[in-house]
Amino acid sequence: MTKITNLYKIYNENKQNEFTALNNINLEIQEAQTIIIRGKSGSGKSTLLSIIAGLCKPTSGDIIIENENIAKLPDINISNFRNEKIGFIFQSFNLISGLNTFENVMAPLVLKKIDKNQLEKQVTQALKIANIEHKKEQKVENLSGGEKQRCAIARALVMNPSIILADEPTANLDKSNSLIFIEMLKKFKELKKTVIVATHDSLFDNLEFVDRYIDIKDAKIE
Amino acid sequence: MLSRNFIDYSIKLLLKDKTEYFFSFIIFTFIVFILSTVLFISDSIKYDLLSTLGNQDQIIVTNTKSGKYFPLNENHINTILQLDGVENVQGKVDGYYNFSQSSRLIHLIADDSLSDDEIIVSKDIKLLFKIFHYDKEFNFLTLDGTLTKKIKSVIASNILSSNTIFANSDVSREILQMNDEQYSYLSVYVPNDNEVEFLARKIMDIFPNTIAISKTQLQSYYRQIFYYKGGIFMILYIVAMLTFFILLKNQVSSVLTEQKKQIAILRSIGFSIKDIISLKFIQNSVIALSSYFIGVLTSYIFVFIFDAPIVKNIFLGEQMENIIFTPTVDFRMHFLIFLFTIIPFLAFIIIPSWKVAIEDISEIMK
Repeated sequence: MTKITNLYKIYNENKQNEFTALNNINLEIQEAQTIIIRGKSGSGKSTLLSIIAGLCKPTSGDIIIENENIAKLPDINISNFRNEKIGFIFQSFNLISGLNTFENVMAPLVLKKIDKNQLEKQVTQALKIANIEHKKEQKVENLSGGEKQRCAIARALVMNPSIILADEPTANLDKSNSLIFIEMLKKFKELKKTVIVATHDSLFDNLEFVDRYIDIKDAKIE
Repeated sequence: MLSRNFIDYSIKLLLKDKTEYFFSFIIFTFIVFILSTVLFISDSIKYDLLSTLGNQDQIIVTNTKSGKYFPLNENHINTILQLDGVENVQGKVDGYYNFSQSSRLIHLIADDSLSDDEIIVSKDIKLLFKIFHYDKEFNFLTLDGTLTKKIKSVIASNILSSNTIFANSDVSREILQMNDEQYSYLSVYVPNDNEVEFLARKIMDIFPNTIAISKTQLQSYYRQIFYYKGGIFMILYIVAMLTFFILLKNQVSSVLTEQKKQIAILRSIGFSIKDIISLKFIQNSVIALSSYFIGVLTSYIFVFIFDAPIVKNIFLGEQMENIIFTPTVDFRMHFLIFLFTIIPFLAFIIIPSWKVAIEDISEIMK
């Protein structure tokens, strides 16, 4: 379970340009739930995902994930947590250009002491789930937008994490690829992943497999 | 302990960005090349000097008159032989022959293994003679007339032998206008090394006009002359490293701007700050080590195979341009170059990477 209590994120605290991105967020997400966080640009939904992923620290508050308060973990532990428990799909995919699909997907695995066969097996499995195995030798800069996202999905799945976070996953996709991504979310649910998607895309409205919609406005949950 | 997969991946990322690292690689290789070249040449010169001196007896005695060198005689030899601790004294003949056609003073050394009508010359002198059409013979011009000597053989030039002619003692005396009982210097053999300094002082006490130098004193004198490592070498090192780091600073800042995103991506998938530093350490160690070894190897080839063209003249002057550097490697000094180049290089690269790694990843990802 993921439990967020009294969460605040204030940028440039005590300065003239102080900005509150998250204002007293309280949230409980059960395991294997699919959650859609909706809100306009700048409402704080991306910041919330970043904090859940441990990419940035909250100003105050607690984030308990699987009985561990990640807000208080040192870098080495939070990085390990991010590596093992979180799969993050970014709006701009954030793939490493110059490397091929396979090499991008294998990146999280190189931190683990596993043999080459095991590594190849896990990467191939993730590529299959994301339906991008046929492009594994291709340099990522030569992939289409949809293929890039499937590569990013494969990378997010390769460590078999319990939580998948997606920040504006369809912002750089056309409608058909956006629908493919939504189908992918169903697959995540079947795989019993906790999925949190931050989006303002109306394609995500009224999806029957979504467990909960959360609306954020002006840094607060409505 | 880093996994094999991690090391392989670090190299993969390095090779992917090889053009970005190329500049640092080239500059680093060039600096190691320059420092190693200076070191190889100075070591080689020092080695030749010290190994030649190593064959000398323990004390060299020269005589002066009015502050100028003046021949010694049998009286000096007999008196020194009387001293307790001295086992043998040999009178040696050498001096400088003025080769007026080329306005050059050539070192003439007596060697009694040669017959009266032959000489041995160094490669440099052989080439000099050739210019004046002395191919197989050479004519020494003396006050008593011309002495024609056959060139028996040519020896390789080193720092001491490059400007040398060897001839029999009688011939040498004739050319140098010395009497039969005169010697240029005396070579004194003292079996007990502990008595050398004392006996050198004793000789100077007996003959106040003489200068008695022990082999150890002579070696330290030569060491000082060619002690590039101490003074010039350190200045060269500091200038080279400062230049390198100024160039590297610009390079690092432009590469880091490109790599900021990559570091943030790696952080987002679970790389810790320590992992990023390890990754950068591996990548830059590969650059530094390959630059170091290529720099040293090319320098070795440049000095000992191609005889350091251009640089040789800076060290030795134009008259010694045909000398051959004896291959010698001072591993301690190369290890110091290794430490003083690679450690600052790694620190210079890794600290900015660490600064990027500790930044707010979510901000960079935006």
